[in-house]
Parts: sequence; C-alpha cells; structure tokens
Amino acid sequence: MSQAPTPLTSRPAGLAAARQAAGRRRWSAATQDRVFAYALVAPALLLILGLVAYPFFYAIYVSFTNRVVGNDGEWIGLGNFRYLAQSAAFSSAIWNTVILVVASDALKLSIGLGLALLVNQRFPARGLFRSFLMLPWAMPAFVAYLTWRVLYQPIGGGLNLILTGTGIYSGIIDWLGQRATAMPAVIAASVWRGFPFWFVSILAALQTIPAELYEAARIDGATAWQRFRHVTFPAIRPVLIVVTLLSSIWTANSFESVWLLTQGGPSDATMIFPVLAYYGMQTQRLGEAAAVSVAMLPVLAILVLVATALMQKDDEA
Amino acid sequence: MIGRNAARDDAAPPGARGRWIAGRALTYAVLLAAVALVLLPIYWMAITSLKLPREIYRVPSLWPQTITFNNYRILFEDKDFVLAIRNSLIVSFAVTLISVFISSLAAYSMVRFRYRFRGLFGRVILFAYLTPTSLLFIPLSILMARLGLGNSLHGLILVYLTFSLPLSTWLLQGYFRSVPRELEEQGMIDGLSRFGALFRIVVPLSAPGIAAVSIFTFTGAWNELLLALVLITSESQRTAPLALNYLITSDVLPWGPLMAGAVVSSLPLMILYFVAQHYMVQGMTAGSVKG
Repeated sequence: MSQAPTPLTSRPAGLAAARQAAGRRRWSAATQDRVFAYALVAPALLLILGLVAYPFFYAIYVSFTNRVVGNDGEWIGLGNFRYLAQSAAFSSAIWNTVILVVASDALKLSIGLGLALLVNQRFPARGLFRSFLMLPWAMPAFVAYLTWRVLYQPIGGGLNLILTGTGIYSGIIDWLGQRATAMPAVIAASVWRGFPFWFVSILAALQTIPAELYEAARIDGATAWQRFRHVTFPAIRPVLIVVTLLSSIWTANSFESVWLLTQGGPSDATMIFPVLAYYGMQTQRLGEAAAVSVAMLPVLAILVLVATALMQKDDEA
Repeated sequence: MIGRNAARDDAAPPGARGRWIAGRALTYAVLLAAVALVLLPIYWMAITSLKLPREIYRVPSLWPQTITFNNYRILFEDKDFVLAIRNSLIVSFAVTLISVFISSLAAYSMVRFRYRFRGLFGRVILFAYLTPTSLLFIPLSILMARLGLGNSLHGLILVYLTFSLPLSTWLLQGYFRSVPRELEEQGMIDGLSRFGALFRIVVPLSAPGIAAVSIFTFTGAWNELLLALVLITSESQRTAPLALNYLITSDVLPWGPLMAGAVVSSLPLMILYFVAQHYMVQGMTAGSVKG
C-alpha cells in the first residue's frame, strides 16, 4: 500500500550489518528471535490453556464424579453415563440433536448452493441481493430466535396471520407448543439464521472458477448438469466439506436456538445436548450435567479433528 | 444456469434469447422471494416493537394501525434495559481490546518466526476455536466461582476470551501473512525494533483485517447467552441477551418491549454490517466465522 516505507539502503548489506550488531550482544540473533517469538505467543497460549484446555479436561473428570454444587463429590466411574443411558430425556436429546443437525445441514446446503449459483450470474443489482441475503448472519442469534418465537405464536404471531390472510390455512397452529411442529419450527429458524454462511462460502468458491473452464465444457457440448457435475462441483467440494463440518459442530451445540424458542419442550420434543446439560446444571448436579456434554464428545472430536486438519492445510497452502 | 456465460447468450439465436429472458426472470423471481423470506422476521420484529398491546394480542395485523414508542419507554424505564446495554458494551469492548491485542502478538509470532512448536500452537488455537461453549460452561462456572469471579462482568470478560482469542488469532494470522516480510526488514534496518515493526508496519498495513476481526470479536461477545446465563445471577450485572432472556421466562410474554429490545440490540450491528460489509464477508469466508 501507499504508506510503505521506501528503501534507504540496499537491503542485503543493511541486514547483514543489523545481524552483526545483534550478534555482539549476549545472545545470537537467532536465539533472540526465538525467545521473542515464544514470548509473543505466551500470553495467548497460557490463556487458552487455562480457559479452554484445562476446563475441557476438567469437564471430563467431573463427568466421572457425583459432584453437586457445594460438594466436590467422589469418583463414581461410569455411574453418570449408566444413569443417562436409561434416561428418556437423554435418548430424546440424541435423536433430536441428530435430526436437527442433519435436517438443518441438508436445507442450508440446498438453499445456500441454489442461491449462490443464482447470484454468481452477472445481472444488475446482484450485489444488493447478496447484501440482503446475508442479513440473518449479521443479526445476533438471540435476536433472531426471539423474533422467530414471536412469529410462531398461535395468536397474533405473524406466521398464522399470513396463513389465514392468504387463505392457505384458516386454523390456529401452536407451532412451538405441539410435538409434531416444534422440531420443524426450530429447524426452520435455524436454517434462516444459518444459511448465509453456506451461501457466502459457496459463492466465494464459485467465483474462483475460471470462465474458460465453462467455455471449454460448452464447446465440448456439455449440458448444464454435466457442467455442474464436472466443473462446478469439483471446484466447490473442499469448501462444502469444511462448511458441513463447521455447521454440524455449531448446530449440535447451538444452545440459543432451542433455549429461546422452546426450552427443549414440549415434553422433550426439541431437547438437545446443550440444553439438557444446562438443565442438569440448574438442578445443581454438576457430575451428571458434565456427563451430558461429555457424552457427545466422541462424535464431536471426530468432526473437530477432521475440520482442523482441513482448515490448517487450506491455511498453509 | 451457470454464470459468466450469460453475456455471450446475447448473440445467440432468437430461441435461445427467449430462454435467456425466461431464465433471467426466474432468477429475479427466486431471489426476490428469498429476500422477502429473509426480511419477513426483521420486519415483524420492527413493527411489533411499534405496536400497541391490543394490536399485538387482539387484532393482529401485518402493519401497525397506530405507531407507538411506548414499548421502548417500558423497556428503558421499567425494565432497566439501559443498564443491560451498558454492561454489554463494557464487556464487548473489553473483550475486543484484550483479545485483539494479545492475539495480534501471537499471530505475528506464528506468521513471522519459524520455531519448533509453531505448528502445534496453530493446531491448539484451531481446536480451541472449534471447542463449543456447551462443553466448557460447567467447568468454567466452577473455575470462576473458585476464582471469586462468579456473577461479575470481570469474570464474563475473562470467559469470553475462550472463544474470542482463538478466533482472532486464527483470523489475524491470515491477514498478517499477506504483509510482505521485506517491508518489516526494511523498517528494522531503518531502526525499528521487532515490536516497532509489528506496531508501525504490520498492524497499520493489516488495518482492514484488524477492523474485521474487532467487529467479529465484538459481536461474538455481544451475542453470547449461555455463559452469561450460567455466570451472572444478579440483575445489575445482566447483559442485553440475558435481560431479554429473562423477559420471556416470565408468565406473560411482553412481546412489544421484547421486540423493542431486539431492535435496540441488533440495530447497531446491522448498520455496522452495511458499512463494513466488504471486509466482514472477506473475513468470514477466509476464516469461517459463524457470526
């Protein structure tokens, strides 16, 4: 950029002089650099070790104890997990978490990919469309879910009003209050809030595909589907994998969505892991609550390990 | 359907041109429908906040018959939302300042120096970024209680570093990497120390990136609910999401004031988004930011 300093001396000579000057001090330049490098990472690393790594392992330890608030408890081995395996709320949480993640991911993928393909064309006002489609991402999650809660209200909620107003359905639906519609309602809200991340990530990947590839495919007589299958899809596949992994991790752990919409109800119909763990904590049984979050760790760990490997590879490339 | 070739179709035979127009019309129709679905909840939030209670509950309509600011008055005077906003601002600004400063040191170190554990540190930071809060909130609450930081904004600031530090370190690495090493070396020859090179050359040249990272860190802290719910017990320490959360756990849902609170807590971020959109979207796709 413009404020870059202009060279005053020829670089190699100046650098050598600087290194020599440094070498005359107590440490060699290389050692100095190394000490400096470690000193710079130290604060961040110590905080992360203390605030993420230590609590992480501590959660695992607590999940093997019968700790309650005010009493550290003792080691009870798999006791908490055995108890959870028999609890109805826990098995609901497993299924609901799986359904929420799979359904939301599938919908966000279809909507995000479809819209990205549309916006990737050249037409007037495409930038404006992109800005508006991104809005849910810019909205705080808690605001989004509170607003959806109001939309879903049986009386005076916007959704029923639109259905009756347009004559599609004239009855009153208690979207969040009945088992059949509660989970779909949570999924819809979560898709509304989460699809822009897919949309923009896919759009960015689409924009890296050189037009010549489509040109060549067209000359070879490829149909639109063949062009998608053999040009577009291979180019966006890496992005799709990373986005799917991240979105699954975030959706499975999204506390706000379920908490602000249904609090896990009605009768556990939308109970997911983080909400169940929070309830466990409210009843002060910390060991049990920790076991709830630790129970999902094996699956989570696989997702995180794969995502980390892919993101780090991307980053270094 | 696939882009880029559209302009070329202009020269195509008449049949193809008709198909092109139909395709274009369909594109606009689908996009307009999508934008309408995106705007519907935002619109509903805004008008509900401006409606009288009788219009919300008894004669619901798609637009308010009478516009009232009473909901905002209730929110600010009876519900003490000003205090919640103030707490949210304190926490979010503190978290942003601390984590952007500490993480720019760490990111600089990992981008500019080659040392033995660099790769490992990078992985630890990514792990930390992807470790969900739902796994950490129980041990963190025990830890904060032990440190005597439960139910305080200081404690909240400290635990928010669990997600903001890894995120900002991870993102800043990408921005710092794009600053040419030669510029720094030149600066050091001209008499700058390593610190000087970082703060006089690398940081100014990454200013757009640092701005984007600051916005992400700020919004991350601004939006957080679970940790606040677990750590904060007294009304005077509540942040904005927490204050609104307690509005819906009462028996009667005060929709008007609730949506007024939603508008107040999202408006600054939406405006920020429209102003800094370019940098934010770039940062989001480069570093995978949930928002």
